Amino acid sequence: MIAPFNEYGLLSDGAGLWIALVIGLGFGWCLERAGMGSARKLAGQFYLTDLTVFKVMFTAILTAMLGVFWLGWLGVLNIGRVYVPETFILPQLVGGVVFGIGFAAAGLCPGTSCVSAVTGRGDGAMAVLGMFTGIFATGIFFGSLESFYNSTARGQLTLPAVFHVSYGIVVFAIVLVALAGFFIAERLERRAQIRGERPA
Amino acid sequence: MTDITRRSVQVLASAALGLGLLAAFAGNPDFASSARVDVRSLARNVEAEEDHVTAVELAEWIKDRRPGLRVVDVRPADEFDAYHVPTAENIPLDKLVDTPFRKDETIVLYSGGGAHAAQGWVFLRALGLPHVYFLRDGLTEWLEDVINPVISAAPTDSARNSFARAADLSRYFGGVPRAGEPATVAPLHELSHKSLAKKDSTTGSTAAAVLRIRGRGC
Amino acid sequence: MSSAVAPLVEARERWLTAIVPRPYANPYLMGFGLGLVLLSAFVIMGRGLGASGAFASGAASVAATITPDRARASHYFARYLGADGGPRVDWLVVELLGVSIGGLLSALLAGRVRATIERGPRISRRSRLALAYGGGGIMGVGAVLARGCTSGQALTGGALLSVGSWLFVVGAFAAAYAVAPLLRREWT
Repeated sequence: MIAPFNEYGLLSDGAGLWIALVIGLGFGWCLERAGMGSARKLAGQFYLTDLTVFKVMFTAILTAMLGVFWLGWLGVLNIGRVYVPETFILPQLVGGVVFGIGFAAAGLCPGTSCVSAVTGRGDGAMAVLGMFTGIFATGIFFGSLESFYNSTARGQLTLPAVFHVSYGIVVFAIVLVALAGFFIAERLERRAQIRGERPA
Repeated sequence: MTDITRRSVQVLASAALGLGLLAAFAGNPDFASSARVDVRSLARNVEAEEDHVTAVELAEWIKDRRPGLRVVDVRPADEFDAYHVPTAENIPLDKLVDTPFRKDETIVLYSGGGAHAAQGWVFLRALGLPHVYFLRDGLTEWLEDVINPVISAAPTDSARNSFARAADLSRYFGGVPRAGEPATVAPLHELSHKSLAKKDSTTGSTAAAVLRIRGRGC
Repeated sequence: MSSAVAPLVEARERWLTAIVPRPYANPYLMGFGLGLVLLSAFVIMGRGLGASGAFASGAASVAATITPDRARASHYFARYLGADGGPRVDWLVVELLGVSIGGLLSALLAGRVRATIERGPRISRRSRLALAYGGGGIMGVGAVLARGCTSGQALTGGALLSVGSWLFVVGAFAAAYAVAPLLRREWT
């Protein structure tokens, strides 16, 4: 096993931040190329006229997921050393719902709002400011949220563990769900095109 | 969509389907398979006493907020809930090897008496983590030396010095340093945070410290 | 119009019409690229991407500067501050800086940089900006609770099969679809 490189001492101390910059560059590039810097395009997801958000997100998830699985299986990547976010069932579900409401209103998420703002969009800039305000206020008044925030902790809990199946089975299931989703997405976009809700 | 684009997307989709299907048959990549037990090197660590820390040292590390410190309680959850070292996380032995520790973290394991923590030390060292230690006499040592340290009636100079150091730490963690005969330490199962917490913020700061230590965020 | 300004206006017109914005790239190919970026983060750093964490780090640093007592008292800000309670440069902050630069570069090369406010025909600029700000604020709260956003939880946690991350994805999409009909006037 030689990866993650950072865990196997292959990186110097300062390298991490340079890598952060380069990775961010790639991230921002791909987002903007796909049109994710445009709130109008993003919002189309929720009116079933433009499902780019779904396509980009799930293609990315599939790619990284398959990459991690196979590099792990090949013994190149030590999956145990990759940081898996911890699960907090209620706060993450509720947080997701709250986030979704804001997402529909702003038409942008934290990453895409930065891309949007930096390419000249005023609404992107406002979304960035709003997000900063929201996080700042939540941080200051964190005390009242804290017990809910820490509730239903499950540590690093993955889907294979919960469904008592192998990692590979879950990977396959997600691949199938995503591919089916893409098929449906194409259909929906074609229908929107016919209805004139979407340019050809 | 141009022809090349369409072709590329089709290739990607087929690759995803193929790799996904194969994954279903491949099953599980083995997370803990990279363990290699270099017994000679481990034996050397034990001889040189580089494998453990004292409770007082651990207390100082916690108080000084040593960067990268992770205190791990390997006992079952109910024992952990009754009382645990402030800032400790509860990771039972069987989950220990699947926990992603980082090479730059300083990991201190403890258990009730020290045996399980010592076993955990072997596992983590076998996985290649360099800064792993355990409390040799476990929670008992913590309670005796840090929470309720005792100085005898006629102390030597060195005993007086080490007691002064311990007394400071004891007060910091909400314990009671005493002079005289060592009283019997309350059995572990009778202890609780309530009986030891003098300050209201003890449990709050525990959670905060754990979060701080684990902080990677997204 | 004064004769001094006219040639400038004309030049600007010519510049604007010369840069025809290029059409967007194929979403599947860009998603694949994004997936490779995410994978390289796993392989190189042993961690994934993020965005809201950078905001949290920034908020913590600002709090530490303007109201240090409250910043130190907040258990949320604590993990983004240095050992002394002061500001700290987080990996995510540099990464988000990269995201901004990368997005700008792509837009510049594609002629898509324009001072504008994206909105539908039936809503005023002010209302759109207010919705963007309010939506951002709400997302901030959600991101704190969920320990991340679409980058950190949906992409990163999703690829690593974390249960909490998938719950976040389901919750976010469900809520957005539920609320969207009420916001139609914002876009159409």
